[in-house]
Amino acid sequence: MATEEKKKELLAKLKNAVISYDEDTSKEAAQEALDAGMEANDAIFNGLVSGMVEVGRMFEAQEYFVPELLMCADALYAGLDILKPHVKQLDLGVKGSVVIGTVEGDVHDIGKNIVKMMFDVAGFTVYDLGRDVPLDKFVAEQLRTDSDLVCLSAMMTTTMTGMKKVIDDLRAKNPNVKIMIGGAPVSQDVADKYGADGYAKDATNALKDAINMIASLKKMKDEVEAKKAK
Amino acid sequence: MTTLNSRERVLKLFAGEEVDRPPCFSGMGNVTTEGLKSLNQKFAATHLDAKMMAAAAASTYKLFGFEGAVAPFDLCIEAEAMGCEINVYAHSEDLLYPTIKKKLIHNEAEMEIAIPSDITTRGRVPLMVEAIKLMKKDIGAEAVVGSYVLGPFTLAGQVMELNDLLKLSFKKPDKIGKLLDQLTDVIIQVAGQYEKAGVDFITVREMGATSDVLSPRVFKSLILPYLQKIFAKIKVPSVIHICGKTNDIVPSMADSGAKAISVDQKNDVAETRKKLGPKALVFGNYDPYNVLVAGTPDQVRQTIRKCMDDGVSAVWPGCDIWPTVPAENFKTMMDEVRKYRR
Ligand code: B12
Repeated sequence: MATEEKKKELLAKLKNAVISYDEDTSKEAAQEALDAGMEANDAIFNGLVSGMVEVGRMFEAQEYFVPELLMCADALYAGLDILKPHVKQLDLGVKGSVVIGTVEGDVHDIGKNIVKMMFDVAGFTVYDLGRDVPLDKFVAEQLRTDSDLVCLSAMMTTTMTGMKKVIDDLRAKNPNVKIMIGGAPVSQDVADKYGADGYAKDATNALKDAINMIASLKKMKDEVEAKKAK
Repeated sequence: MTTLNSRERVLKLFAGEEVDRPPCFSGMGNVTTEGLKSLNQKFAATHLDAKMMAAAAASTYKLFGFEGAVAPFDLCIEAEAMGCEINVYAHSEDLLYPTIKKKLIHNEAEMEIAIPSDITTRGRVPLMVEAIKLMKKDIGAEAVVGSYVLGPFTLAGQVMELNDLLKLSFKKPDKIGKLLDQLTDVIIQVAGQYEKAGVDFITVREMGATSDVLSPRVFKSLILPYLQKIFAKIKVPSVIHICGKTNDIVPSMADSGAKAISVDQKNDVAETRKKLGPKALVFGNYDPYNVLVAGTPDQVRQTIRKCMDDGVSAVWPGCDIWPTVPAENFKTMMDEVRKYRR
């Protein structure tokens, strides 16, 4: 077992590798953590993810911009690739899967990619449809993957209206699926009007809401199962 | 002072002369659904036909007295001429703007590209030339006719994956620099063609380099030199437009060699005016959606007045005029500008 001191040192190394977008050091530190017998979950959440939280703060403070954010994400993924096979069970309480994409007619995908990254980090299975996604593809992909959550992004007021169509269609085919929407022109009002389950103004809030939604979904399913069992 | 017509007012402004009031025009897309309705035209078809494009652009002057006409309406002209496929969403009745369907560069290994030598005869460049001539003939004596090209960084984002572009701007600035240099040539050639067709002014749209995305430091070191190269070649009056956060880069924008700088609603124009002095041409900066489309006529009045009080040289939108603008709001804006006296 790693000593407390060694553990601290490795967590700091993982965190700093993400902050300084150093992929090599991230991989190295991830391997060292495994070799030292550290829990993969611990290394991910208290090392890599805590680095990304700091990066998020720096982004908001305009010390970092989108290129830095993307490079930090690469460093995070590099460590994550090594640690993920050793994750025993994610202690988030939920393990969801998500379909995400930017709606048809809209090629703005910078924001969507940042949201996607948060889901990756949290251990969700992510089906990324990309940008300019034909509206019926969201429904087809949700049915194909039986995902818990569908996330729609739109950056223009005109493409935003496409979300309503996707939401109506999804509800008709699968009333249980949770739907979250976001992007600059979207607001809580719009989400309510369109009948989405959630809206978040940025990536961190998106993840928090998603976890809550999926948790409630799981609970509902469990209750149904329990009733059936009786 | 005898009354100026719209064209005279804008050209005098560009020449650094006194004008009776700030003109109200734009160097970016200015098609409206009201205009399309009056012409009985579909949005998707309008991008592919010189006559329809010119008529739609001029309709904003004819219906509302907006003081210029600008084509095209999308951001794909240069990339298409370089060989990218575009999508105009012909099937859709919604207002969907054309996009690049297939990029030229899919990864770092594909960054060595050759620019076709006949770029000015490819894609819709000839159609643009035709549209400019038609606009000139139609309203050119009364109002200015303009067009726009993309800035090199924004064009790079159209021909390659944006994620790669952003990361490589840090990791391999030399490689990106080389591509930007090639794209600079493309932009100069296309702008030259528009000049020959008779445009009164040209806007260079470098919205990909906004401080919402890229740091002011990278803007200055990596992008500004190419913008300077472009503006050194444009002979007609020119404007540099960047949307989003721009307060920290306005000095660099002013350094680009453009005659005027254009900023959006996130810019503090009073501060910019202080930074750049009374002579600088600063165009802006109302929100074309949240104010002009979604605002009440009262909000439109207040916003337009504030732009002028803050010291804009021309009342000008933060981005494309958003097509669904209500006629009443448009008329209110024009009225507020016409009434204004400094
Ligand atoms: C970069 C950019 C472009 C690039 C896009 C490159 C790319 N691959 O993304 C290019 C140059 C290609 C482009 C093109 C166009 N653009 Co543009 N563009 C922008 C710009 C400057 C920045 C957007 C951005 O990436 N921001 C940074 C990211 C990090 O923020 P974000 O996207 O908001 O994401 C965050 C949140 O919104 C949220 N979020 C996002 N998605 C989701 C999803 C979910 C589920 C959740 C919960 C949260 C969430 O979390 C994210 C992270 O915190 C904006 C202006 C601005 N400053 O916002 C205009 C802007 C979006 N564009 C605009 C326009 C008009 C266009 C064009 C139509 C121009 C034209 N004439 O063709 C074309 C569109 C073509 C098309 N059909 O799609 C307008 C839209 C106006 C409107 N009312 O709808 C804007 C607002 C500019 C303006 N001031 O008017 N553009």
